[in-house]
Amino acid sequence: MYKPDTIYSSFTPVVKSAVIGYRISGPLTLKILSLLTRFKFKNYPGKVFYKSLYDYSDKIIDRCNIVYFKGPKSFTGEDVAEIYIHGSPAIASHLEKSFSKINPIDFRQAKNGEFLYRAMINNKVSLKQSQAINNIIMSENLQEIDYSKKVLFNGDEESELYDLKESAINIYSKIITSIDFIEDESFDLDSIIKDIRLFFQKIQKIIKKNRTVIEQNNILNVMIIGDVNVGKSTIFNKIIGQERAIVTNIKGTTRDVVAENLLLENKIYRIYDTAGYRKKQGRIELLGYKKALLLSKEINHFLIVFNDALSKNDLNRIKKEFNIKNNFSLVLNKSDTHKKTKNNQYIYLNKSINRQKTIKLLKLQNIHHKYIKKSKEILTVNKNEINFLEKLLENGEFILNQQDLLIIQEIFRNIIDEFSENFGYINNEDMLDNVFSSFCIGK
Amino acid sequence: MKHDFDIVIVGAGHAGIEAANICNKFGLKTALISNKKDDIGKMSCNPSIGGVGKTHIAREVDVMGGLICKIGDISAIHYRVLNLSKGPAVWGIRAQIDRKLYQKNMYEFISKSKISIIEDEVTDILTNRSMVRGVNTKNNNKIYAKVVILTTGTFLNGNIYFGMEKYEAGRINNKSSKKLARFVKENFQTMRLKTGTPPRIIKDSIEFSKLRPQESENNDIYLSFFTEQNKNKMINCYMTKTTSKTHKIIRDNLHKSAMYSGAIRSQGVRYCPSIEDKIVKFGDRNGHNIFLEPEGYDSNLVYPNGISNSLDKNTQGKFLKTIPGLEKCEISEYGYAVEYDAVDPRNLNKNFESKKIKNLFLAGQINGTTGYEEAAGQGIYAGLNASIKVKKLNIKNNIFSRSNSYIGVMVDDLTKLGVTEPYRMFTSRSEYRLKQRTDNAYERIYPNSKKLKLLNSTDTKIIDAMIKKEKSILKKINKEKFSPNKLLKYGIKTKLDGKIRNGFEVLKLMDPDINLFKRLFNIIINKKLLTKIIFDSKYEVFYEREQRSKDLLIKNQRFKLKGLSFKSIPSLSKEVVEKLEKHKPENLDDASKISGMTPSALFQLLSFKKSKSRNVQSK
Repeated sequence: MYKPDTIYSSFTPVVKSAVIGYRISGPLTLKILSLLTRFKFKNYPGKVFYKSLYDYSDKIIDRCNIVYFKGPKSFTGEDVAEIYIHGSPAIASHLEKSFSKINPIDFRQAKNGEFLYRAMINNKVSLKQSQAINNIIMSENLQEIDYSKKVLFNGDEESELYDLKESAINIYSKIITSIDFIEDESFDLDSIIKDIRLFFQKIQKIIKKNRTVIEQNNILNVMIIGDVNVGKSTIFNKIIGQERAIVTNIKGTTRDVVAENLLLENKIYRIYDTAGYRKKQGRIELLGYKKALLLSKEINHFLIVFNDALSKNDLNRIKKEFNIKNNFSLVLNKSDTHKKTKNNQYIYLNKSINRQKTIKLLKLQNIHHKYIKKSKEILTVNKNEINFLEKLLENGEFILNQQDLLIIQEIFRNIIDEFSENFGYINNEDMLDNVFSSFCIGK
Repeated sequence: MKHDFDIVIVGAGHAGIEAANICNKFGLKTALISNKKDDIGKMSCNPSIGGVGKTHIAREVDVMGGLICKIGDISAIHYRVLNLSKGPAVWGIRAQIDRKLYQKNMYEFISKSKISIIEDEVTDILTNRSMVRGVNTKNNNKIYAKVVILTTGTFLNGNIYFGMEKYEAGRINNKSSKKLARFVKENFQTMRLKTGTPPRIIKDSIEFSKLRPQESENNDIYLSFFTEQNKNKMINCYMTKTTSKTHKIIRDNLHKSAMYSGAIRSQGVRYCPSIEDKIVKFGDRNGHNIFLEPEGYDSNLVYPNGISNSLDKNTQGKFLKTIPGLEKCEISEYGYAVEYDAVDPRNLNKNFESKKIKNLFLAGQINGTTGYEEAAGQGIYAGLNASIKVKKLNIKNNIFSRSNSYIGVMVDDLTKLGVTEPYRMFTSRSEYRLKQRTDNAYERIYPNSKKLKLLNSTDTKIIDAMIKKEKSILKKINKEKFSPNKLLKYGIKTKLDGKIRNGFEVLKLMDPDINLFKRLFNIIINKKLLTKIIFDSKYEVFYEREQRSKDLLIKNQRFKLKGLSFKSIPSLSKEVVEKLEKHKPENLDDASKISGMTPSALFQLLSFKKSKSRNVQSK
């Protein structure tokens, strides 16, 4: 009897962190667990155990939490185990080495997306739902995540593509009927063309509506600009909450544009740190500055950082270079060392102000509100599906200029086949089912 | 081993006749057994041949050397071409047939041939170790044969219902043979199907003056490819409609209908074969069409197509009188429903031979189909394969395949997917219908019928001449060049794009007008050929796509799944396994056509098969 391989993979990044997780799925799961832990998990599905992991030479790899899920009540529908080791890449590599010694043929590293694939073929999720999972992970847009979640939890019908598929089948049925059952029901070419026109208009509407939703719910792009060594990177690191940009006292440390996403109260921000401007620039740094200038078109809001008071000339120069209108805040940094009179236009920041306070002072949430009008509409298809619909639209003009019903039918069969890729095969019998339930046919 | 005949055919309906005829053409000693000589070629239901989809099968039978179209044409009293405005890929030529004339012409043809007609009742099939030996009959005792083809229609456990009145019989007035039925039951899986027929009305009692006549009209298109003209006098059909009063009477009396009272329990069909179905499912409609079809020149009967039913006689009499033109109608035979057993066609190999009993072939309505043309197509197909088997001919490729013919589509659907309701041909069942046209049937079928010498010399000459003429015309017109301005002068509209077109490309832009063609190219062409080359040109672009899917089809068909236990692939979902187990796809293409099949499940089948063959290799 055929058995699928057993696969493993880490499900967290293998970096220095609190915990690194590994997942195993397949028929050998229990055997592998007992080899690693000398413990029989068989009778304890769904329970967490704190156990030692042993390698091939009986050395302890780690002592950690392990859960076993018995198939089919698991993510993939197969036997699954999850191992949470301490967050050391060294321990992780020790564990992977032990894995590879166990049984290199039937137990192997999972390919990309293989766990999800197994979940799909074991009917734990549908084709569309598996795409939704992927979209949830890949998406940076909360609306899109909402949409994917709906498809994942409530089923294929949540996608507006589903309605379109139904209309496509209905139109196709009408065409079939007016050819094969001409004596029972007949539709003239004009009425069919009208339906097809509506179908393509509906596609256009869906594309337009969802495009707008995606655009309106875009990420707020904030760019930090200013002269060299005014502390742009310090602010950047503080906002995003981790050291991403290198900070030194040497002027011009940031030589490229660095960007990170920030999630604040369900709103997404993309923060850009840039190279500063100074007269004698290193080549790479100049490149970075130019890059920042190039990117500036996509930026909603600028944080102009400086140390001393900003002269009007300087401000105008920066505004001109980055093409800034009123979409900026002035940030006076390191102001603890520069005792200046208070200016209401300035935001005062310094090293000792913590992250939360910094974000609050920068009024990022107000800015988000200002630029990103939250759409009341919700997504009914996602980005990939929009691309799919645009592909369908390409048929539109050609089909609408056709006078030969057979050619129209041929193209529509193609469209139905495209939908098949999304929803599973739609065959002749399905189509006839629809014909017979919609129209009175037969003698 | 002693043989009385090479091939014995049981049943002389449309399937049996075509089977006998083709076996005879192969030079085989053929016997056609019918309960009654008078039943040979009997049209048991409506008096017409053809229609959308059905025409295609009939034409393919025709070019293969079959009889249905030719005998149909000489017996036709009215023609109609359906979908004439839509291009020959879906033309449906339909002829009203004089029943008596058809039977007479058919009997004449068969009795002149070398086919032995035996009037007898077959009581049993003789076998020896799962191999057919012949048949047992009531009067002639045992008749031995190498091959038996069973084309017995709806005789199996047939019940007839007039409302709640029930009679045991196949067709009306025919006794069904119990022993033969038992044989089929024991060797095949059967299913219960139902069909119906409308009442017959006395012609003189119909007020035709109230009704819209439909005149015969055929645009020089006939059932047979070889028919050039029909000198029969054409007569009219008439159209009428049900009324709201009709609907009310039927609705009020549904409890007396055999189908709706529960007397008939067989699985419901999706389309509406009976007037009860139409009223129940689509009663709110503004009347259902009824076609009043004459049964023949000297017949005083009219067949009202569209109101087959299983209501009691009293209700039938009442509702007919609410239909315009039928207010004073007299009924000669009441409509009834037939419930019968059909064999699950998946019990047959692709050549229509029983999987269990060697040299036993089945064709026609017994395989779960409906219609004369479907029966004729199967008859010729079974006869062809039986002959190939008896003569031990080495023919590798399938003569009829899904990609070259409607007969191929039908065979494929029947033997792979089976049926849940009487199977009827529709053009939408064919994936390659732009190429599978009636006007080019000779191109698709002729290479085989020529090779096997199934056509007579006259017909062979006609087609050979046509092929030759097409070649020379195409060669000539492709030398001609046309600018958009030049085309405009001929009244052909096109974009003024400066594109120079050759003759074949110009065909795309025109209708089959032989005068225009003559003005353009100075060539005299007949309409048949012009139609063909015009639509070859129009659909050329789509052939490429069809060819691509054909290539994929062939590739996927080579990927065999036979003998695979789908249950043993744990990575397939239960649902998919159930579907696969139900349909038992022979290859990947079959599997891909199962409803709801996902790409990932197909991929899974592929990878499983591959890993398995890899394992075998490594061992």
